[in-house]
Amino acid sequence: MTAKMRWSIIILMIACTFTAFAGGRGESTKTDDAATAVEMSDTSILIAAQGSEPDQLDPHKTSAYASFQVLENVYDTLVQPAEDLSMEPALAESWEISDDNLTWTFMLRDGVRFHNGRELVAEDVVYSFQRVIDEGLNGWRFGAVESMSAPDDSTVVISLKQPSPNLLVSIAGFKGMAIVPREIVENGSIGTNPVGTGPFRFVSRSPDEGIVLEKNPDYWRADEGFPKLEGIRFVQIPDAGTKLTALRTGEVHWIDAVPPQDIESLAAESGITVGRVPGGDYHYFALNQNRAPFDDARVRRALAMAIDRDVIAEAAQFGAATANQTAIPASNAAWYFDYAPYRAADVDGAKALLEQAGVSDLSIQFLVTSDFPETVTQAQVIAAQLAAIGVTVEINDVDFSTWLDLQGKGEFDAFILSWIGNIDPDDFYYAQHHSTGGFNFQGYANSEVDRLLDAGRVETDQAARRALYDQAAKLIVDDASYIYLYNPDNINAWRGDVQGYATRGDNAIRFVEASLQ
Amino acid sequence: MRAFLIKRIFQMLLALIGVSIVVFALMHLVPGDPVRVALGTRFDQDLYDSLRADLGLDRPLAQQYVSWLGGALTGDLGVSFRNGQPVTQLILERLPATITLAMAALFIALLVALPAGIISAVRSGTGLDYAVSAASQIGISLPDFWAGVMYILLFSLTLGWFPSSGYTQIGDGIGEWIRHIILPAMTVGLISGSIITRFVRSAVLEALNQHYVITARAKGLSEWQVVRRHVLPNAWIPIVTVVGLQLGFLLGGVVVVEVIFAWPGLGRLALTAVKDRDFTVLQGSVLYIAFMFLVINLLVDVIYARLDPRVRVS
Repeated sequence: MTAKMRWSIIILMIACTFTAFAGGRGESTKTDDAATAVEMSDTSILIAAQGSEPDQLDPHKTSAYASFQVLENVYDTLVQPAEDLSMEPALAESWEISDDNLTWTFMLRDGVRFHNGRELVAEDVVYSFQRVIDEGLNGWRFGAVESMSAPDDSTVVISLKQPSPNLLVSIAGFKGMAIVPREIVENGSIGTNPVGTGPFRFVSRSPDEGIVLEKNPDYWRADEGFPKLEGIRFVQIPDAGTKLTALRTGEVHWIDAVPPQDIESLAAESGITVGRVPGGDYHYFALNQNRAPFDDARVRRALAMAIDRDVIAEAAQFGAATANQTAIPASNAAWYFDYAPYRAADVDGAKALLEQAGVSDLSIQFLVTSDFPETVTQAQVIAAQLAAIGVTVEINDVDFSTWLDLQGKGEFDAFILSWIGNIDPDDFYYAQHHSTGGFNFQGYANSEVDRLLDAGRVETDQAARRALYDQAAKLIVDDASYIYLYNPDNINAWRGDVQGYATRGDNAIRFVEASLQ
Repeated sequence: MRAFLIKRIFQMLLALIGVSIVVFALMHLVPGDPVRVALGTRFDQDLYDSLRADLGLDRPLAQQYVSWLGGALTGDLGVSFRNGQPVTQLILERLPATITLAMAALFIALLVALPAGIISAVRSGTGLDYAVSAASQIGISLPDFWAGVMYILLFSLTLGWFPSSGYTQIGDGIGEWIRHIILPAMTVGLISGSIITRFVRSAVLEALNQHYVITARAKGLSEWQVVRRHVLPNAWIPIVTVVGLQLGFLLGGVVVVEVIFAWPGLGRLALTAVKDRDFTVLQGSVLYIAFMFLVINLLVDVIYARLDPRVRVS
């Protein structure tokens, strides 16, 4: 009897295992190539650990930062943000602007090839931009564009309806505006098998190996010796503690975000570099202006006064952030507006404003999400700070899908979130504070702000444009449409053998100049 | 036996349909949807509506369910909203990692539980028995997220014996495979083992108190012979039941452990699907998990019948 039982179990186990392998093997044949590629020249393959899983690899469709970490190294844009966030040549070697500021002519670099061997032509640029418009997600970036054309293989002409001083940032500020070859869209492989012109070629993706990229020997900076790495393997390690251990033990060479509480100890370790630069992201909270009493600017201002941003930044980011009462960080020198009307923790001022507004026994429900754990910490600190002016805070912690749903339906008193990767002031203010803005969920409407933001979109004189945005920012802060908290630092960490990599202000992950020593 | 099997398989199908209806309804009852998640911070009502229409999410729920069920019956579980890949492929890709982890964990569990449970029953009331009971109590009480992190700190970071994360296939080298699987398998296996130990102990204890054991002892058999020939055969049924249940849990993916060790199994697939409201992937995964449970239940029943002729008669 026991013998029979034993056999039944053994057969069951073998059957299950066999079925699994038969199925798994058949479906992921590419894995084997990838494994071999990595083993062949293990010493110059950089292993990069990501905290979250990329969704699809179509640059025009994804909004996931994890996908962009990978795609940054596969695709190019027409121009690109340099390290100081000014726009520098990429696929376009140079560009000219007509005297009326309505026609932009881009001259493409010669001899650039897609990873499938085909030469890049101007028509690819027009095709890619048209696709971005059609796909919708980033179509708004072409709001000022009248038409696009490719008069010859190396020239792209963009005609505008109105002058657009931030055109370069709009159409090339990040890899969501990547130039893609038409053929991978038409054969449907763009989401799983990206083909770009960038420093690395996509090899494979599997749950076991992660995403494997190999060197593009025909890259347009090959004569400068870039890329130096033979390849990159992106692995996904969701647990932050495990990710840190993997870096410390040398299982991976590079990790994306470092938990703020670990920055100090990690930076002190020999053989590990922590890259930390002031970032362009900002954290904020917004009050629902379609609900009383938050429609009263005095109430919003009272809350903006009662909080202490430094304390919130210390608690939520362990100090790896800079308190700011406006959106744009000081590191963005071209657009930073030094304006801080609210004294920190001004309890008396806040109480007086609430009294003026005739508000007492105020209770606010804060919509936050554990998927971005700093929002929970921020809400807890804000709750404690608002208690001092007699305001009760209830924290509604939900998952991000639910959060987006509630926000979209306007079912909130207040929400906390952050905006990432903005460069131009139009990105910082228009969608959020223009009365027709796509992300104006707080319901802010100020005709003067609308006028300034509209004017900023077409003003080509840099100084005049800056003056417009400074005025708009002042109104937004005074009206407390958003209550800005701070700009967090961008943080990556890597092992000592990684050279030529730098953490960037726009959080783009570029391995083109990196090497392993 | 054949009638028994047909009846059980029919019940299985009903249960699967029931499970799929519940999952479908629950997913659509909770707030949030995949299109809103995909759009992220760049929200636009027109774009949102048109994408929902493209995915068929604007149709009545019943219609969506029926068309999904129609596909499922022909083996087509749809495509992921999140990354556009077929759900069947996503699940199949993760099966080797899930099944090898389940098997390795069960192996460790049985390696610990069978000897520990039998010895503690046979030596019931002694210091050894208490020691085993205390150890298994600790094993059950230790949360996996804590134990896993501790193993990483000890065996990866401090001793450097095993990697803290990742997965390699057996085919790519058995040594590497063992190095990668041992920490996650130990985390899950020791907890499972602690649970199974208690069942083994009580099953063996109960069998030890039967009259035929007294007879066997009276015949002059050694204690080991009594246990092997008379006690164990009668203790197997409850043990097989609990082992089957444990295996069912393990094959459904062990979410926490998969997250801690970056193990590319089904648990993580399902977790991401819940977070992103990737309806099709979640439905597919749950259907698979339910199917595994039912298959194992069926096998356990078949094994009962093999072990105990009385089950066959009834």
